[in-house]
Amino acid sequence: MAFLRERLDNGLEVIAETSAHAVSTSVGFFVNTGSRDETDLLWGTSHFLEHMIFKGTESVSGDEINRRFDAMGASANAYTAEEDTVYYATVLPDRQADAVDLIARMMRPALREEDFSTEKLVILEEIRMYDDQPPFGADDQCRAAFFGDHPLARSVLGTVESITALPVEAMRDYHHRRYAPGTMVLAATGAVDFPALVADARRLCGGWESLPDTARLRPDAPDRAARPGTARIVRPSATLEYGVRMSPGPSERHADRFAAKLLAAVLGDSSGSRLYWALVDSGAAEQATLHHHEFLDAGLFVTQLSCDADAIDAQFERILEIYRDAATRGIAGPEFDQARNKLASRVVLAGERPRRRLFEVGGEWAHARTYRTVAETLGIVESLTRDDVQQVLERWRLDESASVVLAGPAGG
Amino acid sequence: MKQTLFSATLDNGITLLGEDLPDLESAAVAIHVPAGAVHDGPGRCGLATLSGELCLRGAGERDSRRIVEDLENAGVQWAHSVSATHASFSGAMVARRLPDALPIFADIVRRPRLPPDEFEAARDMVLQGLAGTEDDPAHRTMLALRQIHFPAPWGMPAEGLAAEVERLSCTDVRRFCSTHLLPAGSIIAVAGRIDWPDFVARCTRLFGDWRGDPPPPIAPGPRGPHSRHVPHDAQQTHVAIAWSQPPYRDDTSHEATAALGILGGGSSSRLFTEVRERRGLCYTVSAGYQTHRDFAIAVCYAGTTAARAQETLDVILAEIERLPGTISAEELDRIKARAKSALVMQQESSAARAGSLGRQWYHLGEMRTLAEELARYDRLTVAAVEDWLAAQPAKDLSVVSLGHEALEVPRGVSA
Repeated sequence: MAFLRERLDNGLEVIAETSAHAVSTSVGFFVNTGSRDETDLLWGTSHFLEHMIFKGTESVSGDEINRRFDAMGASANAYTAEEDTVYYATVLPDRQADAVDLIARMMRPALREEDFSTEKLVILEEIRMYDDQPPFGADDQCRAAFFGDHPLARSVLGTVESITALPVEAMRDYHHRRYAPGTMVLAATGAVDFPALVADARRLCGGWESLPDTARLRPDAPDRAARPGTARIVRPSATLEYGVRMSPGPSERHADRFAAKLLAAVLGDSSGSRLYWALVDSGAAEQATLHHHEFLDAGLFVTQLSCDADAIDAQFERILEIYRDAATRGIAGPEFDQARNKLASRVVLAGERPRRRLFEVGGEWAHARTYRTVAETLGIVESLTRDDVQQVLERWRLDESASVVLAGPAGG
Repeated sequence: MKQTLFSATLDNGITLLGEDLPDLESAAVAIHVPAGAVHDGPGRCGLATLSGELCLRGAGERDSRRIVEDLENAGVQWAHSVSATHASFSGAMVARRLPDALPIFADIVRRPRLPPDEFEAARDMVLQGLAGTEDDPAHRTMLALRQIHFPAPWGMPAEGLAAEVERLSCTDVRRFCSTHLLPAGSIIAVAGRIDWPDFVARCTRLFGDWRGDPPPPIAPGPRGPHSRHVPHDAQQTHVAIAWSQPPYRDDTSHEATAALGILGGGSSSRLFTEVRERRGLCYTVSAGYQTHRDFAIAVCYAGTTAARAQETLDVILAEIERLPGTISAEELDRIKARAKSALVMQQESSAARAGSLGRQWYHLGEMRTLAEELARYDRLTVAAVEDWLAAQPAKDLSVVSLGHEALEVPRGVSA
């Protein structure tokens, strides 16, 4: 493994983690933009723009993009989150240049009005699709309740209203501002020819105009739920009731971030955790999990529960008892060891796949300009102690200051 | 590409399969026992799944918690599933922990305690999963499609039917396990950084003295009606279409999967282009191939707003009909490139390779090397795919819609 880095004159960062044994190459653009960079009028633009990037440039049509990716045997896609938009392709190493060429050109899309109108229909279908699925919008509504006026409150997809009202000019302006070289990282992992990557980046991206000020909106993120308490979404046709609960946790810059993940594994992993044994193994709930989710300057502990509608209040109370018990009595040595072993194994296994490494390496570099080898991450996980986890339990009380949204047939 | 594949057969009929991937840190093992849902029996849909669940709730010296603790302390990312044909228990781990995992899996399939005091919880867990499925419209659509298209009991949902699961007893599970959790026909596949002789020796010790005769094969029964509408109160309507294909072991299965790939297997496919990119009719649209050992289906799926569902179905049917005689060399080349990438990249995942070895053995009775599999794709020509399509036109389509209103299925599409 080697980590390589180059910065183009216009500010575009080009990085790679090369692996001698990899049989594939993953490349991707990590753009520091997402729903938290939007205003009410631009709500959903980051994600809509991600779709539009696949509709072509002035010289390459959308159909041609699709054909070229398939012709190089690429596994290519993109995703948009609150703070990131990521475009990636995994190819066999001899197609690195083709993949870089295409994905780099795509970053300067035509954003044609006709494509915009057609793709708007697809976005609206995607919104409806998620709205028809568990947890029926409870996750988005819960994040809105937790973050209040902060831009992290905005859902990634936007709403039917915001997408319908969005003009193409607003997207063009957003793209110009947010896809400047200083806000983007070109990352590659696996079997990477780094000199070729840099040369291609210079040729394809070197002419991109750098903007003087691309800093993102950074109002202070709340460290407690803006709107604590429980809200309900009524879906009469749902079979189960779905609950999402968010309480404060460490951000990605906080020293507690790894211990927070270990705590979440002890209490709410999808198997072998306290929530698993109490609620899932017993057949009381379909799902009961706890995750730690981190942003640049905020963090969340997210509890997800699904069970029979008439049992949801009691099951949430049971979960809170488990959180309170952990806070007062701490966690036991064996469950700590088990969770740490589990996390360590996940780090090693995920580290074997260039695609997984791309998200890890590119994401960390785009946010914090830091790089860790798999061994270094493993070292951090293995050095965690019960005291570290105890500190998280004391600093981020899981049983306090939470927003909860329930969705299902109950309707209160 | 150099590959090191191994196989061995134990006296009791268990097949051991292996692939050495020395550049990986991990190893993955998957144990497939032919105790799948086709053996549920009438009125007992879900019995195999419930049995698989109860097997995890104590085996050998370990109780339910100890099984999970020991697996997770060894860093085993474990999973279990029950398909139509098999109960499968699998795990991926850092390679040196494989000797810790094998005895646990051996206990689970050979010495499950099937504790009566865990039965209610196990059944409730299965029922919770089924209730969750009720809220997953795309999954329900596919279940309904398989149910009408495949001959009974192959189309029945492996996860069960709630009304029938509720009637199952611990005695049913115990009887099922004693007659179906048996060595003959079982497959144990391992891939990653492995020591094959050591693996064979361990498996011989752990599984070699396991005895029992295989259950009789299940004869396919009648199939269901050709179309079905499932009422569902939601914004989107879901549409799925199936028609018969040659199974994977058939000599023409690559022609069939190539044709399906051109129809709906990637972002440059006909369906993605015509349904999503041109018309913006839906977010999800695809065509795929699902195979059992003796029969297989092509499946097209789309989910869209109710008002546009009929148009979506019409466009999909038109594309299915338009396919024969119109395939281009570029389209076939793209299918080959995608297949090659996917096959080669499997080498980066021990779990993917262990899974693939097991599937190949079940379907083909052999392991194909990557080179052989790639050669089969390389040999494909437009003429061969077109000849196959001409001889096997899509007919007797099964159509399922799930949503507010039933869609109009043109005459001549279904029988």
